[in-house]
Amino acid sequence: MSEFEFQRYVTIGQYIPTDSIIHRLDPRTRIMGGLFLLLAVTLAPSLAGLLLALVLVVALTRMARVPVGYALRGLLAPLPFIAFLALLQVVLSPASGAAPTLWQWGPLRISMLGIANSIRVVLRFPALILLITTASACTSTSEMVRGLEALLHPLTRIRLPVQDFVLMVQVALRFVPLLAREAERIAKSQASRGAVWGTGRGGPLRRARQALPIFVPLFLVSLQRAESLAIAMDARGYRSFGERTSLVSLHFTRADFLALLACLAASVLIGLV
Amino acid sequence: MEPIIVLDQVSYCYPVPGSNPQPALHDLSLQVNEGEYVAILGANGSGKSTLARHLNALLLPDQGRVVVAGLDTRQASQRSEIRRTVGMVFQRPEDQIVATLVSHDVAFGPENLGLTPDDIRVRVESALRAVDLWDERDRPPHMLSAGQMQRLALAGVLAVRPRCIVFDEVTAMLDPAGRRAARALMAELHREGLTVITITHLMEEALDASRVVVLNDGEAVLDGTPGDVFSDVARLEPLGLDLPAVANLAHALRAHHPALPPGLLSLPDLVEALEALRCRVALDRRGPTCPPSVSDRAARKSWGPTRPPSALVAAAGLGHTYMLGTPFARRALEDVRLSIRAGEAHGLIGATGSGKSTLLQHLNGLMRPQEGTLRVGSYDLTDLKADIAAVRRIVGLVFQMPEVQIFEQYVGDEIAYGPRLAGLHGEDLRKRVRWAMDLVGLDFDSFKDRFTFAISGGEKRKVAVAATLALRPELLLLDEPTAGLDPSSRRELLIRLKQLQDGGMTLMLSSHQMEDVAELSQRLTVMVEGTTVLDGDAATVFGVGDRLENWGLEQPVVARLAHALDVRGWDLQPGIVDQDVLIDVLESRLEPTP
Repeated sequence: MSEFEFQRYVTIGQYIPTDSIIHRLDPRTRIMGGLFLLLAVTLAPSLAGLLLALVLVVALTRMARVPVGYALRGLLAPLPFIAFLALLQVVLSPASGAAPTLWQWGPLRISMLGIANSIRVVLRFPALILLITTASACTSTSEMVRGLEALLHPLTRIRLPVQDFVLMVQVALRFVPLLAREAERIAKSQASRGAVWGTGRGGPLRRARQALPIFVPLFLVSLQRAESLAIAMDARGYRSFGERTSLVSLHFTRADFLALLACLAASVLIGLV
Repeated sequence: MEPIIVLDQVSYCYPVPGSNPQPALHDLSLQVNEGEYVAILGANGSGKSTLARHLNALLLPDQGRVVVAGLDTRQASQRSEIRRTVGMVFQRPEDQIVATLVSHDVAFGPENLGLTPDDIRVRVESALRAVDLWDERDRPPHMLSAGQMQRLALAGVLAVRPRCIVFDEVTAMLDPAGRRAARALMAELHREGLTVITITHLMEEALDASRVVVLNDGEAVLDGTPGDVFSDVARLEPLGLDLPAVANLAHALRAHHPALPPGLLSLPDLVEALEALRCRVALDRRGPTCPPSVSDRAARKSWGPTRPPSALVAAAGLGHTYMLGTPFARRALEDVRLSIRAGEAHGLIGATGSGKSTLLQHLNGLMRPQEGTLRVGSYDLTDLKADIAAVRRIVGLVFQMPEVQIFEQYVGDEIAYGPRLAGLHGEDLRKRVRWAMDLVGLDFDSFKDRFTFAISGGEKRKVAVAATLALRPELLLLDEPTAGLDPSSRRELLIRLKQLQDGGMTLMLSSHQMEDVAELSQRLTVMVEGTTVLDGDAATVFGVGDRLENWGLEQPVVARLAHALDVRGWDLQPGIVDQDVLIDVLESRLEPTP
């Protein structure tokens, strides 16, 4: 177990080729279906809806043959933040006629509404993280790019730089693990020079100063890498508005149609329950 | 022959915000013919990469013009045609890869050309087959080895079917096997009629080319066959260059045997010349041949412990798995044994991905042993309560390309960072920084207030090494210390490291440059696929011959020559790796009997 293995905690954006039935769907189906579900989970108003969403998303993760435990590891980093948010929800929810107040001290009050709100936060976040992790585990960036490109293609008619946008997304995703590795290397290097991480001593200014040895090189390295990549892409003949073709041809089949319909139905259900 | 690239009095300056532009190319004229194989050499900062980027319109000249296949690079409408003609492979393959699948990445170029999916598929397949990666087509690129990734970058360029390919220091980060494969590929492309331009810091690679161009301060100062360019070492040194290792050895041998002809660049040539010399000597000898003797100098040079040395580092059964407990779990170390004696320089060699960096990171507690035992000094690192901060104080680690980790504005502050955290301040801190800078050969007074971003690549490397030395470690670990340095910076760094060892510091260095390892280290450990397979003195390790090649490594040139002569029946003592020893032994064989 290493304090430096940052990549362990970056589960979002990692493609896992398990060749499940979900992997075999058309990328457009995966993107649209994922978006429907994402919207539904984000906006679902009721506890029952969120519970249903969580169950569905876990089922989806299993169907994609992504280890659920691994996908949930992405929760570790934002866990304190989620806990804090949940706590705020408990103590700061406004009073309402329907929900009785259980306990009050000054502006702080615990009401049934507050508890319900807090449970919603606690349900919503794992569902979101599982959904995003699974979606990225099922879709390689090239597939996603092809799918996005096809979906957004109509926008090129009004001269929107769809290709650039799509490529930007692709490159950003490809860089996530790369930057995690770079950050790890830099942190290790500074630790070798006597830096101590995570002691949490000193005021905010001092702590910001402690972070400098990582952020400055990381920032510079990212810029350098972005520049090299841009040059390499240029050298390989990439042009913003050039006519591009693709190796991958997309096929929208009956299975895609059914999957999309299922996602839409599930999303509506989550939103309405 | 048709010129494919013409540079006509090209000048180029990099714009520097708020300051004078920095000149990179100056009035450079050069013509490359279709089908040529050109190597471009020059010190760090001599303008090699800038030149390369002019060849396919990534940069446009401030003055003069660049014409590629009859098209002026300044005409925007011709740019895609130019880039289709001249392809480029860069140093870091991971920065050139756009897609998350091997085949999709190779398709990127043809997709930009607007070809049909069927045409793209054909090109992707033939490009991947050409670099022997067809079986890996459905894997994500970051799962490939460094050598494979470099070949993938090349496949991406081949798929565009250019007439000329520019290789910008592509072998700098590769292990010997990767370098051999890359050189073979370049030679093959050249045989097939492509124009090949390669930029390199490794003089050996220039020998493959039919023409060598040397740059200095943005000007082409030498241009000729490898034989011409490497004929005079005195001319190369001021340019920051060196002779190829074989030529250097031949040069040293000529000092003892003036009968050797000049201009010996390749190992077979040198072997033939020595054979010829031996025949002549044999003819001259009338009396009985004297028995071969190893001179005092050779005996003194043969390494061996004079008194039982204590082990500073001892590891046994060490194992490590990355991302343990995730779908990406990957075994990095298995059953590693290691012993480093106090005061020695210990070399760590092995192919890319054999676990060298992982092992080094265990030695200063950045990684804790998952299996096995590890002792460093008096600290048992398997003990979870071990004082890791104290371990890091006695073991300094300089990472690969350490200059990217520089974060302070001034050189002095960068070096003071570690000691300052250790509690030093005022005059003590000053003294410590001065001491560390002296050790790497940076003048304290003139360098401490220089901006870290405004010094040369070789100087940055020194600053980074000094920043670790400033902690006054007992053991200094260096991961690829000379990678990416030009010959003269490399030579200087090696001399400094040797001085550190003479001063009592224990060194451990991992390197893909066998010459560096052979020159610096007394003992070596070889790693293959995460485990240590061999350790011993340099003579033992480099004496195993062909097995080294199977492990993705090679012998240093002295050992290769000794081996080649031995095969020809010279009957040399086994395991000669030191140049002076070889010279002495050859002297005893080639001396006419008095």
